[in-house]
Amino acid sequence: MVSADPILARLLLAMATTLLLIGVIAAWTSTNLVKRVVGLLFAMLGALVGAAALAAPAALLMLGAGVALGYFLVAAALIVRVQEAYGAVEAAELDSADGVDEPAEPKA
Amino acid sequence: MSGYLELARLHAPVLTLLALLAGAALAFVSPSRRLAWVLGIAASIAAAVFSVDAALRVLVWGDAPIGAVEGLALRADGVSLFGAAALNTAGALVAITAGAFIAEASSRTGPYVMALLLCVVAGWSGALFASDALGVFAGAEIAWLASVAMVALSAERGALNGALRMLIAGGVGAALFLLGAALLWRAIGSTDVFYLSAALIRAPGLAASGVGLMLAGLALKAGAAPLNFWLGAAMGRASGPAVLALGVLGMLGGVFVIVRFAAHAAPAPALGAGVSAVLAALGAASVVIGSVQAVGARNLRRLAAYACVAQCGVALLCAALGSPAGFAAALVQAFATLAAMLALFTGAAIGVGGARSLDALDGMGRRAPLAGVAITASAISLMGAPLTLGFLGRWRLVEAGVGAGWWWAAGAVIVTSLAGVFFGGRLIERLYFRRAVATQEAGAGAWGIAGAPAMISAIAAICLGFAPTLLLRAADAATAFVAGGGP
Repeated sequence: MVSADPILARLLLAMATTLLLIGVIAAWTSTNLVKRVVGLLFAMLGALVGAAALAAPAALLMLGAGVALGYFLVAAALIVRVQEAYGAVEAAELDSADGVDEPAEPKA
Repeated sequence: MSGYLELARLHAPVLTLLALLAGAALAFVSPSRRLAWVLGIAASIAAAVFSVDAALRVLVWGDAPIGAVEGLALRADGVSLFGAAALNTAGALVAITAGAFIAEASSRTGPYVMALLLCVVAGWSGALFASDALGVFAGAEIAWLASVAMVALSAERGALNGALRMLIAGGVGAALFLLGAALLWRAIGSTDVFYLSAALIRAPGLAASGVGLMLAGLALKAGAAPLNFWLGAAMGRASGPAVLALGVLGMLGGVFVIVRFAAHAAPAPALGAGVSAVLAALGAASVVIGSVQAVGARNLRRLAAYACVAQCGVALLCAALGSPAGFAAALVQAFATLAAMLALFTGAAIGVGGARSLDALDGMGRRAPLAGVAITASAISLMGAPLTLGFLGRWRLVEAGVGAGWWWAAGAVIVTSLAGVFFGGRLIERLYFRRAVATQEAGAGAWGIAGAPAMISAIAAICLGFAPTLLLRAADAATAFVAGGGP
C-alpha cells in the first residue's frame, strides 16, 4: 500500500499534483488540438496517481480511469471529425475558419 | 394496487433514472426520428411524474422522506428532490421543444440527439440523487459527455470546435473533482455526502482543499465565471437541441448539484468558511462577468447563455451564505432562472428556429406572437421586475444577505437587474419596435406541440411570481430536510 510510507505517499502526491498542473496548462495553452488532448490526459493521469497516493477507494480509482478513457475516446473521435471538416488541427486555423463562416454582424 | 404504488413511490429516484435511461436506449435504436422524439417525450414525462410526485409528497405534504435504496448509492434529500423535480420537468419541456429541430435533422442523427438529451437529464438527476461523491462524479460526467456529443452532432462544423473546448474544460473539471474527492476521503475517511456535516475531520486543511477542488470541478461544468471560457464557442454554433440541453439543463443541473453539495458541507465547522468563500467568489464573478458578457453579446444564444451565468451567480451567492435561508433562496433563484431560460430558449427556438443573430428577433412579436410573449416574459423575469419569479429569487437573496450582514450581496442583485434591464430591454425592443429586414424561416418544420413549452414556462415565470406560496414552502422544506435530516 502506497500510503503505508508517508514520505513516499507525499512525494507521489507532489509529483501527481505537478503532473496535473502541467497537463492543465498544456490543455489550456497549447495551440495544437492533439497536444491539448494529450495535456488533458496528463491532467487526468495526475489526478488518478494523486488519488492512489491518498489511498482513495478502488471504486473511485476505477471510476476515474473509466472517465479518463471515455474522454480519450470522445476526444479522438472529435479530432478526426475536426480534421475532416477543417483540414487542420491547429486552434488558430479553426478560429479563423469559424470567423469566415460567421461574418461580423452589422451594428444594431 | 396501492401497495405497488407505494413501492414505486419509495423507489422514486431509481425509477426516475430508469425511465430516462430506458427511454435513451429505446430512442438510440429507434429507426425513425419521429418515433425517437415520441419515446423521448414519454420517458421524460414519466421521469418528471416520478420526481415531481416525490417532491410534492415529501416537501409539500410532509410525508416520510425517501430513504437509501438497497444496493444502490442513491439517497434523496430535500435539495435533490426539489432540484430533480425542477430539472426533470424542464427536461420534459425541452424534449417536447426538441421536435422543432429534430423534424429538420437527418434521420440518422435525430434518434441519437433524443437519446443524448435523455442522458443529460439522467446524468444530472443521478448526480442530484447520489449519496456519495462517486455517484456525483459519475452522474456529472455522463451528463457532460452527453452534452459534448450533442454539440458535436450539430450540422455546422463550428460546433466541433466548441465541443472540443467543452471536452477539454470538462476533463480538467473531472481531474479536479477526482483529486478533490480523494483528498476528502483522506481527511474524513468517507466520500458520503450525507456524512460531511457530522464527520470527524482529522485534517481540516486537506478536507477544505478537497471540497474546494470538487466545487471548482462542478462550477466548470455549470458555466460559472471565470471558468466559462467554453460557453461562447459551444453555445454560439451548436444545434437547437444542444443549446437547449446545455443552456437550460446543463447549467442549472450543475447549479443544483453545487447547492446540494454545499448544503451538506456548510454545516461542518472545518468546511463551512471555505465553501462559503469559494461560492461567494464564483457567484460574484459570475454576476459581474456574466452581466458584462450578456450586455455585449450580439449572438442570441450567447446572450441567453451569459444571462444564465449572471443569474446562476446570484444563486451561488445565495448558497454562499451557508444558512438555511440562503440555501432556500438559492433554490428559488435557480428555479426562477430555469423558468426564464426555458421561456427564452424555447421561445427563440419556435420563433426564429436555428437563427443566431439578434436581428432575427426584429418584428418577431408580430410574426410569431406567442413566441414573442414567451421571450418577453423571460426578459421581464431576467430583469427582476416585481411580481415575477426573477424578482422573488433576488428578493430572497437580499433578505437572507442583509440578515447575515452581507450588504454587498444587495449590490450584486442591483448589478444583475441593471444588466437585465439593458439586455432584456434590447430583446423586447427588437421584438416589438423593429421591422424585420430579412425573411425568417422560423419554426416552419416544427411538429405540432413543440411550441407548448414556451408558453408553459412563460406562464410559470410570471404566475409563480404572483402566487409563490407553494414554491417558497417547497424551498424552505427542502433546506430544512437537509439541515435537520427530516422535512
